[in-house]
Amino acid sequence: MATVVLPLFFGVFFGFALNKAGLTKYNKIVNVFRFTDLAVLKFMMTALVVAMIGLYALRSLGLLTFPNVPATYIVGNLVGGLIFGVGMALTGY
Amino acid sequence: MKFILNYIRKEEWSPYVAGILLGLVGIGAVWVSDSLLGASGAFENIAGMIGKAVAPAAFDTMYFNFIMPPGITYGVLLLVGVFFGGMIGAATSGTLLWGKKGAANSDAQWKRIFGPQVWKRWVLAFVGAIILEYAAGIAGGCTSGLAISGGMLLAPAAFLFIMGMFASGILTALIIYRKNY
Repeated sequence: MATVVLPLFFGVFFGFALNKAGLTKYNKIVNVFRFTDLAVLKFMMTALVVAMIGLYALRSLGLLTFPNVPATYIVGNLVGGLIFGVGMALTGY
Repeated sequence: MKFILNYIRKEEWSPYVAGILLGLVGIGAVWVSDSLLGASGAFENIAGMIGKAVAPAAFDTMYFNFIMPPGITYGVLLLVGVFFGGMIGAATSGTLLWGKKGAANSDAQWKRIFGPQVWKRWVLAFVGAIILEYAAGIAGGCTSGLAISGGMLLAPAAFLFIMGMFASGILTALIIYRKNY
């Protein structure tokens, strides 16, 4: 039961936050690459900082263990990112 | 209380407030269900399911057997939630365009650059999505699954990905917008 409800629950809040930040709009995404609207960066970096502090604090308290951390393979991550940026600027994903 | 309700009805939140909400969701996902938030993996899971049913030989690869096993995974359910969460977000601010005229191509800036045709928007979205999903497959995640979820665990992969993403995103925007940049 929890394995079905939990992802749906987190997903709803995830989608809600994305929508309210305006990240579901083409112009928001593409304008961050034109430096005319930095909402995407502000949103992403705020989420990163909040989650980093929370997760590392909870781990130091011994309340959680990290799931599998995304693997680092320098060329793959970089090349993937380079291709991804093209699609992102085209589509506004 | 009234302030909070009014804020929920606002169409566009401060990105900092929405970012804090996403950060808390990210913490919750790791804490409660030991999973990361991600979007692109779900499409690969579903593609794997369809592929295994239609052409099992072609999909009998390392990638679809071990790296992205097909099935209704955590990510697929998360994506269903994201869909409805986005709709709730739009509905609370009264901007839900579901079934309304012009909903398929409603972005003023997009129309100014590419034109008002709906088919153009669909073609470009389809082509762009192929590029996105392919790149996410190479890098091991997308904006949410790698950049945000990886970044909050301080994974170096996330920051390499963000570097690449912005470098080529800026370049692509430059080419598309040219003198309007």
